[in-house]
Order: sequence, then structure tokens, then C-alpha cells
Amino acid sequence: MVSVPSPTETERPPLPVKLVIAGGFGVGKTTAVASISEIRPLTTEAAITEVAAGVDDLTHTPAKTTTTVAMDFGCLTIDPTLKLYLFGTPGQERFGFMWDDLVEGALGGLVIVDTRRLDDCYAAVDYFEYKDIPFVVAINAFDGTIEHDLDEVRWALDMAEHVPLIVFDARKTGSVRDALLAVLQLALSRAEAAVTT
Amino acid sequence: MAADEPASHEAEAGPVGRAPAIRPFLLTAGRVSGGGTAPPLPLETQVVSTPTGLSVLNSLTFEHHDIVAACRSPQSVAELAAGLRLHLNVIRVLAEDLCAAEYLAIYVPDIRATHDVSVLRRIIDGLRAVPD
Repeated sequence: MVSVPSPTETERPPLPVKLVIAGGFGVGKTTAVASISEIRPLTTEAAITEVAAGVDDLTHTPAKTTTTVAMDFGCLTIDPTLKLYLFGTPGQERFGFMWDDLVEGALGGLVIVDTRRLDDCYAAVDYFEYKDIPFVVAINAFDGTIEHDLDEVRWALDMAEHVPLIVFDARKTGSVRDALLAVLQLALSRAEAAVTT
Repeated sequence: MAADEPASHEAEAGPVGRAPAIRPFLLTAGRVSGGGTAPPLPLETQVVSTPTGLSVLNSLTFEHHDIVAACRSPQSVAELAAGLRLHLNVIRVLAEDLCAAEYLAIYVPDIRATHDVSVLRRIIDGLRAVPD
């Protein structure tokens, strides 16, 4: 356990809360973070543990390997005691979505989808379902239009009925705000249900 | 530009460039984060320098100096890693060292607090106030 030396001596930092922005490579994750973050998105290198997949495993080493990937993030100060962090997951599916390190404690997830490349988001949807983290699927309408209607996308992604599916524009602050609000409403509903039961 | 000049972080905050020439293991004396019983620090964990840390700042060297200097204002381990261009897990190890020395205070977010209904409502209200 990490000890905290006399909290009264130091400036009390805000309570940090976190949302995760997921989706395929180049789908608009960093754009979405940039649209709403109060700082220019920062990049850090995180280590992702992956279980080497059979097809890639030429050495027959039944190995967990650690891959270093770049991860973009931003933040938004809600008030002096509360700060929202937005972490974009590394895009490539081959990282095996061993994202536990990034996702631990997250309030929810936004899975961004490009309808031209629906396949890219399967892994993210599966991951959030498996981890039982509230998430919303958001189609990034790159030029104001999408190539499939919502029902087709829902069917193609085999999405559960209760998972919200929205259309947004990752370049527009208000649109990203509303997408994040959809995630937070889901998290709130779940927290409220947990309180009453 | 001096590497320990905090003002330089803003200008350099672009995409990650070349990997540092010094290997992460060298900076941590071979230790890895999460190697003990405690889980690794969450990315959003807030760190802030203590008065003790700031009082000995001039005697600290290299990364220890940079971390304590940067944490005059509270920030997350992720921001710290990005600002100092150090691997996240290097920051985790060094921050825990500095905390043990009482130069740095680490505030690990409490999951119950962050998932509390009243906190969620405050985030929602705060986010709604963001203009288009």
C-alpha cells in the first residue's frame, strides 16, 4: 500500500475520474480527446501485456510478452476537487486488448466506430462486455454521413439491445461532450441501481 | 534547452519522438512496477511534491529532481510520464521511491469514491456546462 505523508502539508489534488476511448486505429480517438480536453492531448508510452497469439508465435514460447505502445490522453477539470481524464486505448487489435492496466477503475467506455471499417471495433466491444464496464458505441460521422443505418450497424456488431448506439462527430466539442454524457448516464444508472438494490 | 526546465514541456508536448537512449531498467535499478504485492498505480493517480521534497529539491538529481520539480502542482502519473518523456512504468517505480522518502505524496483514487452516485452527477453537470 502506498502511504501518504501528512496530507495536511500538501496541496490536496482533485479526485481523478477516468473514461476510456476505444476503437480501431485512426478512427478518431485522439481527435475526440482533443475536441474536449483542456490540454493538448499528451502521449505516453504504456506497457501492454499480451498473450502471444498462436499464429504469431513462431518460437513456440508460450509467452506473455510486454509491448510498449503509445497512448493519447487528455483531461477536463470539472471543479477544483474533481478532474475527468480521457484515455485513448492503443488502436491496434493485435495488442490483444490486455488493457486492464489502462481501464482499471474507469467509469465507462466510448467505442468509436468507422462504418467503413466495422471490424476494427469488435475487440473493443467484446472487451467492455467481458469486463462489464458500461459503454456506448459511437459512430464517427466523418463527413456528416454514415454508410450504414444504425440497425445495420447494431446487427453487424451483434450488439446487445441495452448498449446505446449513437452517431457523433469527433471533431466537434459539443458532439463529443454529448457522447461522453451518454456514457456517464449509463454509469450513473448502474450506480443508482446498485444503491437501491 | 535544459532538460530540467519545466517550461520546456509545453513546447515539446507533441507526439513521442525517439525512445530515450537510456533503458528504463537502468532508471529503476532493474525494478518493475506492480512487482510487489500492491497493484500498479492507476494512470490517473495524482502525485504532488511535499514541502520536504521541495526543500531538498536542489540535492536531488536526474529523474528524481525532475519529478519533484514537476509535481509542484498536482498531476496524474500519466501527465508526469508524458511531460518528462519517461515510460509510465518508470514513473510508477520512481514515484513510489519518492513517496517512501516522503518527497512526494501519492493519492491513489478510491474506486468507491469515483463511482459514487453524487460524484457521477457532478461530472455530468460539469460536462453539460461545456459549450459547443
